[in-house]
Amino acid sequence: MALRRPPTKAELRRQQIEELVLYPLDWLEERSGLVGGVRYFLFRNVPSDINWMQTLGSAALTAFLVQAITGVILAMYYVPSAATDPHTGQPVAYESILHITDNLTMGWLVRGMHRWGASVFIILMFLHMGRVFLFGAYKYPRELNWVIGVLILVMGMMEGFTGYLLPWDQTAYWATVVGINLNGTAPFLGPWLAQFLRGGQEISGATLTRFYSLHMLVIPGAIFALIGLHLYLVIRLGVTSPPWSKEAAGMEEVDADSNGAGRVGLTQPVPRSAGGRD
Amino acid sequence: MEPEQPSPDTAHDSLHEEPHLPPPTLWPVGFAIGIVVVLVGLIINPVLISSIGGAIAIVFAFLWARDATTELRGEAIVVEPERRELKEAGEGRTAPPADQQGVALPRVAETAVTRSRFLEGATLGLGGVIGGLITVPVAGFALLPSFLGQKQHKVDMGPVSDYAPGQWYVATFIVDPAEGEVSKRAAFLRNNGNGPNGEPSFTIISNRCTHLGCPTQPNGPSGQQFTGVATVKERTANGPLQLLPVIPAGYGCPCHGSQFDVEGNRTAGPAVRALDRYEFEIDHGRLVLLSTYSVSKVVGTGAAAKIYKYKETGPGEHVDGPEDWLYPLQPPHH
Amino acid sequence: MAATVPKEKPSRVDEARAGFAKYKADVKKRGKPFYPYAMFHDTIMSLVVVVVIIALAAIWKWSAWAPLHDPTHKGILGPLVDPPANPGTTSFVPRPDWYFYFLFYLLRIFKWPESVFLGTVGIPTICLILLIMLPFMDRRRTRRISQRPVAMVAAVLVVLSMAVLTWKGATANEALASEVVQNIPKWVKDEHLPKAAIPGVNLFARAGCTACHNYDGVGGGGLLGAPDLTNIASRHLGIATQIKHLMNPGSVTPGSPMPSFASLGTSRLKQLAIFLEASKGTK
Repeated sequence: MALRRPPTKAELRRQQIEELVLYPLDWLEERSGLVGGVRYFLFRNVPSDINWMQTLGSAALTAFLVQAITGVILAMYYVPSAATDPHTGQPVAYESILHITDNLTMGWLVRGMHRWGASVFIILMFLHMGRVFLFGAYKYPRELNWVIGVLILVMGMMEGFTGYLLPWDQTAYWATVVGINLNGTAPFLGPWLAQFLRGGQEISGATLTRFYSLHMLVIPGAIFALIGLHLYLVIRLGVTSPPWSKEAAGMEEVDADSNGAGRVGLTQPVPRSAGGRD
Repeated sequence: MEPEQPSPDTAHDSLHEEPHLPPPTLWPVGFAIGIVVVLVGLIINPVLISSIGGAIAIVFAFLWARDATTELRGEAIVVEPERRELKEAGEGRTAPPADQQGVALPRVAETAVTRSRFLEGATLGLGGVIGGLITVPVAGFALLPSFLGQKQHKVDMGPVSDYAPGQWYVATFIVDPAEGEVSKRAAFLRNNGNGPNGEPSFTIISNRCTHLGCPTQPNGPSGQQFTGVATVKERTANGPLQLLPVIPAGYGCPCHGSQFDVEGNRTAGPAVRALDRYEFEIDHGRLVLLSTYSVSKVVGTGAAAKIYKYKETGPGEHVDGPEDWLYPLQPPHH
Repeated sequence: MAATVPKEKPSRVDEARAGFAKYKADVKKRGKPFYPYAMFHDTIMSLVVVVVIIALAAIWKWSAWAPLHDPTHKGILGPLVDPPANPGTTSFVPRPDWYFYFLFYLLRIFKWPESVFLGTVGIPTICLILLIMLPFMDRRRTRRISQRPVAMVAAVLVVLSMAVLTWKGATANEALASEVVQNIPKWVKDEHLPKAAIPGVNLFARAGCTACHNYDGVGGGGLLGAPDLTNIASRHLGIATQIKHLMNPGSVTPGSPMPSFASLGTSRLKQLAIFLEASKGTK
């Protein structure tokens, strides 16, 4: 049996640092099992031929996180009140936005990021949806994920609609009048839904506070939950290879009759005897 | 695990082999309570309460010390081993269940309410009750205020003499002074003089388009420069009121292109009916607006107009014609 | 490979499951770890997203505020602040956020009162249902683009129509009086309008004519068939006919949807007629 030489000083040092770092992780893992989950998420395999287009999903998530963080900060200064400030004659909500934009340090930046982040978020969601459609990544077994994704899209647009009212300026007020009346034209329950959204027969301060509650609590809660489910499914089911990839994961073996190009049907009609293939 | 039975001569050995357990005792609890009473007494009533606390502390301290020093004094420590009573297991057992004296108990019938079934039912039932207790008031609070308590408003529009007969005005007014600017509205208004039965007649048309509620605009020049009539600005009981003279050839909506004629009838675009109107009354020579009502069409103009009235309906909802059945039930309005 | 059809053809579901199992095995064997390969791409893209958002916020602020230190000035991305909500306005043009423009324009397309609910809730609901049901309608396993002609055609149609609807929604306008009056100096210059036509052009800009008619590039785009009036004088209709038409459009153009402007009064109608007869076009 060959004797192993004793470890060098550098190796010993490295070993010590490793132990130091791993000790709290092991402590946490033994008591919760979470570290294992994170490790799986980070070091799981993905197909080796994935495309840049497949970063759109995480880009949309980043945009949403930007919205969440800037939204939380804005919520510390925004006042959801349609009452008129007796000193300036302007609505209080409108003034709080002016205050954020003009007076607070970098207030203009946070407000601008939140407002344009909304558009970026919606664009990225549409692009991501288009990419998933192009890749056919809504087929078995990812159908549920597609449905959840569509729900996130709808929630995102509702978030944009409720948030649009909050500055309480002319564009906000009238876009909301039309949006609520749009719901009101739905047969049978439409007028009731519209009155519930408005908090009464006419748009008033109650509408603003109601939309604020929806925009800050209800819809973000739903979006967070749906995104969590969406990500869980992505990790569990895996991401697809691009459909045009020559080495796609899970690709069908190339049919001997079709001279290796993998194209059947239109350009290389398959002899009837070869059996069916999609 | 066997209860600890250390003796003085094995004390030294046990220090190396096994952890040295102190004798079990409950007296420290009483001692702690006594200390707490002393400290509380210092705040509330030092003489009486602290002395009581002190007495308690001393008594329990003595008892604790007595327990702790049993070993030193050479007495044996008695530790009660944990004993678990045999409990009935219900129907799962093959042998008939027996109580502690070994007497066989009767088997429980299959259809009777066993403990587990009762607990299941109770959990679900109580869960339902709790859910109901929370949801019903909360849902009621969330839903009902939008539909109940809609108030009727009277809007003071100034003296009738402000309105030159035959002149159209764009009137902006506050409907509910308590709500303030949020309840500001605009209406196209004309004093028609006296009607067929001698009563004053006003045409008061709401400017909200009947397609989706956008603010319609008069198609015509406005202001003193073009009409020769002065703009009236005054304060009434409802708040600031402005009467802007205008010469409309009709009204148009900037959102989706609906057009209306001067009486509010729809002439083009997706609006589903004529513009809504306001009821009014004359109170001590002042014009007062009452509630709004919906109109399907108006035949004729001015004081002689025949107005086909309906209950107030939201924009985009038909009041007559085949599509009326799409909106059978309106939420409570004033 | 398969020259003979197997005795019991595996069901579609079984095939799908087998395919997925093969995918999983492939990824396990030939795949790369998510960290750092894929995560690096994600991080770069996220950085781009955050930089774009900050850049947009900065451009919004500086293009609107910097020129005049006035937040109501309209920069490249619009003004920083709009006027506060005024529920009693008669001069505002409501518009939704840009990503709703396609729905907004759909409402303008359905301009028959009987069809209103189609544009408001009918079509959007149907489209949403189709979108959700997509994986249940398309059950074929193939993901190759060349083998999914229906999907590709549908995708191109949807993208194109949404783009067109969004663009049309963005450019739709009704030519509000307060904005139209700002064009008067340009009109006077372009059309070489004489002094006698000035009262008429002032009335024309305020009377809502441009809600339907176009004039020198401004207007409602020919709504309801309204003709472009930029060189209406070249038709040599004459002042009398112009006045007659304004008082009762149906008498000159039978079936015209144009409302009567008789309420303006004869003297104002004459001013308008003079202006119209002076509009010989921009040369």
